[in-house]
Amino acid sequence: MSLFRRRPDEALPLSRQKPVAEDVRREVEAHLELRAEELIAQGWEPEAARAESRRAFGEVGAIESECREITTRARRAQRRAELLDAFWQDLVYAGRVLRGAPGFAAAAILTLALGIGANTAIFSVVNGVLLRPLPYERPERLVDLVELHERGYASVPWTSFLDLQAQSRSFEALAEYGGGRGTIQGADEPVRAAVAPVSRDFFRVMRTRAWIGRLPGPGDHAEGAAPVAVVSYRFWRSHLGGDRDLSGKRLRGEFGFDVIGVLPPGFDFPGGTDIWHPLELNRQPTSRTAHNWPAIGRLKPGVSPRQAEEELRSIFRRIGESAGPDFDAVGARVTPLQELLTGSVRRPLFLLLGASALLLLAACTNLASTLLARGTARASELAIRTALGAGRLRIVRQVFTESLVIAVLGCAAGLLVASLLLRALLALAPVGLMRLGDARLDPWVLGFTVAVGLTTAVLFGLFPALRISDVDSGAAMREGARAGGGPRRQRLWSLLVSVEVALALVLLAGSGLMLRSFATVLGIDPGFRADSVLTVELDLPEREYPDVVRAVAFHDRALEALRRIPGVEAAGVSNVLPLGGDNPSGGIQVEGKALLPVGHPITGFAVYRLASTGYFEAMGMRIVRGRGLSEGDVAGAAPAIVVNEALAADGWPGQDPIGKRLRIGGMDGPGAEPWATVVGVVRNVPGSAVTSPARPTYYYSYRQLPYRARWMTAVIRTRVPPLSIAPQVRAALREIDPAVPAEFRTMEERLATSIADRRFTMAVLGAFAGAALLLAAVGIYGVVSYAVAQRTREIGIRIALGARPRTVARMVQGRAMLMVGVGIVLGIAGALALTRVMRSQLYEVSPTDPGTFAAAIVVLGAAGWLASWIPARRGTRVDPMVAIRTE
Amino acid sequence: MDRTPMTLLKGTLDVLILKTLSWGPAHGYAISRWIRQTTRDELSIEEGALYPALRRVEEHGWVESAWKRTETGREAKVYKLTVAGRRQLQAEVSGWTRYVTAMTRVLEARPAGAIGG
Repeated sequence: MSLFRRRPDEALPLSRQKPVAEDVRREVEAHLELRAEELIAQGWEPEAARAESRRAFGEVGAIESECREITTRARRAQRRAELLDAFWQDLVYAGRVLRGAPGFAAAAILTLALGIGANTAIFSVVNGVLLRPLPYERPERLVDLVELHERGYASVPWTSFLDLQAQSRSFEALAEYGGGRGTIQGADEPVRAAVAPVSRDFFRVMRTRAWIGRLPGPGDHAEGAAPVAVVSYRFWRSHLGGDRDLSGKRLRGEFGFDVIGVLPPGFDFPGGTDIWHPLELNRQPTSRTAHNWPAIGRLKPGVSPRQAEEELRSIFRRIGESAGPDFDAVGARVTPLQELLTGSVRRPLFLLLGASALLLLAACTNLASTLLARGTARASELAIRTALGAGRLRIVRQVFTESLVIAVLGCAAGLLVASLLLRALLALAPVGLMRLGDARLDPWVLGFTVAVGLTTAVLFGLFPALRISDVDSGAAMREGARAGGGPRRQRLWSLLVSVEVALALVLLAGSGLMLRSFATVLGIDPGFRADSVLTVELDLPEREYPDVVRAVAFHDRALEALRRIPGVEAAGVSNVLPLGGDNPSGGIQVEGKALLPVGHPITGFAVYRLASTGYFEAMGMRIVRGRGLSEGDVAGAAPAIVVNEALAADGWPGQDPIGKRLRIGGMDGPGAEPWATVVGVVRNVPGSAVTSPARPTYYYSYRQLPYRARWMTAVIRTRVPPLSIAPQVRAALREIDPAVPAEFRTMEERLATSIADRRFTMAVLGAFAGAALLLAAVGIYGVVSYAVAQRTREIGIRIALGARPRTVARMVQGRAMLMVGVGIVLGIAGALALTRVMRSQLYEVSPTDPGTFAAAIVVLGAAGWLASWIPARRGTRVDPMVAIRTE
Repeated sequence: MDRTPMTLLKGTLDVLILKTLSWGPAHGYAISRWIRQTTRDELSIEEGALYPALRRVEEHGWVESAWKRTETGREAKVYKLTVAGRRQLQAEVSGWTRYVTAMTRVLEARPAGAIGG
């Protein structure tokens, strides 16, 4: 039945109709002639008769064109109806065919769903994290600004920033901002919250309005102004009770803030911030080397980052002419904010997207070979249809429609798979993966899926469709059910399976490289022992601890209390733990070394750490020479310092650093600190990532150099599971000061977080490789089963003639392994070409690591052997008599 | 007798075509002659106007056409009424008849009978 049929049944097929213009012209001509003839018959002169005939007819040109229009329109409608009609027939037929082969249909749809699902899930992450614009007005104009130096780059110092703000014409607005966690009181309970000091134009840069209340005005952005703050929607809901009346809402952190506004939901810059307050409340250092705050700007319309960089370079040149010797910026780098925020995940995500594309390709290859196999089985059906007059195009269209139906169903199932996968990805993904929460199945993703689905239909459907339709109908019908499995088609089929094997090998090699890197990373001795360590972030409220003496006293008492808790082996504090970053750092002066030509009396740079007694023991950091910090290193005693191996090698190459002296170049003026004597050398520990080399670092006793002693993290090594003593730790700290909140994490958690990105990429890539391996195995299994079935008779004869089934099985399997071998060779070539793009993701493993490649080959070979062994063996277990009689 | 040709009501030509074809297949000129003769030139139809109308009724599926060789040896496009066309004609005819009957009744009514009754 037809839904679309509109033309009368007897209408001529379009191909047998006259062209419209000719049709019209000849009809009109005939009329004019007949009319003239009639008039002549009535006695008119021929000339006059023809003229009369034309007159009576009317405007020939206009009428002809009207006729042409009507008929053209009608024919177009007819063609459309015919096409739709044919498509509908194809669709109905395809549905019937697929229902008739439910096993095939289910396998095909599942295979496709796997490929499409993986792609859709990864694409939705890529889309959410990398492609979707930041949720701010005209986000493409938001840029990050850093100062360029001869070597490297740094944040723009406040004084230079003010110069840029005053002189630059490239930006609508510029701002600096900071971010850190602090203890906030005045909410429903003391909490640690992310606080960002921001400069005057910050919210103009972001083009944000207050959701409730107001934003800080220019008057609020001044030293000595009454401190005000705005809070995130999230913080307002969870800690200020969602009360729309903000009057009297006060928060105490570094200052006592009046809460004047709430930012709109979704405003999240810098990421995770709860509270924003004017940065100008604090006096800012005037030094042009105080690289304290990141800078952000909004470009004017039509200004490109490159143009802005040009302008900033010339401004920096002008500053350089008048500024003192401590100014060493040579230019600026302007990076779109989105690029900056997603820079570190870009490559791994695109890598995974590429891998999922390979998986999809494998799925398509698998389907193509399955369709080809079915085509072989259907050869006689198609031959009959051809013989009955179906054109080749018609058959291609029919077979292709079946693929399309599979693709559409595969897409639908793929979306289901994608939503499940996405959930798994989100659960697995590292916390730090920016904007991962934005990954969801939105219209863009749906569009992507549809595009992928249609592409796959073409890939796996059209090719076999062309192949299948190419049948010799006579031969096919004669051969009956056994028809069509010609050697040419079998070769093509084997080639497809080889391609599957090759794709699987590429993915296996890739994930093997990741696995190997990961194992290497896990095997790195980080220089500390993460097991059985509980860490507690302590942040003493400024108001209660206005001077460092009180902070030191708190830590002294806290350490004493912690060490008394049963199960505690050692306890100490430090300002920053391993993997906590390479900040703060600054200039140092090693006694007797040549000064650097920078204006300060410094000889190099080093990371600055405060530590207490017991810290190295608790962290499991071995003292390699001398001693650690001791109870005797107190204020007033001779300053003692412990350096790490990197600083020892950097400061005193080839010498024993013990007893040597260095001093730190204070920010508040050169040489402000006294000389300190090196008393020990401690193992290197990683600053930011396990894989990054340790920077030169020194450890000062927090009692002797108590700057920043208000922000410390306690480290407790336990003999019991570390989190089990958390309640006692909390109680002990409460007893000393109930206003200090404590945040617990084990050191193992911190370590795991630092390698979570790597683990994520590895796990996803591994899953893809596993899926590709499975597809390849299924492909091999299918082709061998088919070959065995085709040759039942031959095998039966061989066995009847005395061949041992095992020998025959080996022969069958030999051909399968040849196919696998071809695939492996192709795969190695592909992998050698493709794994290069992974270089940045690998750690101490070459992208062409022979061991990894060998392992991938072995795994594939084994899978191939198994996948061919099962059908080969089953095929040769036939009873020869039965086998011979089957034909 | 008034000889001013009447203007054609919209759609009338379609009915005339269908009616003509109800006697058997015919080419355009024959249809045009039939109409001319049966209306005795009372309807002023530009002869050419027939052809767009023919194509319209064909588009509707009421008639179908094919090029055929006539008895005189010419090629002519011959139109034939379809089943749908026959049904359409019946509907049109009964519609016309009702319309004409109603109009005639009104136009021939006598005022005396209507008033005072």
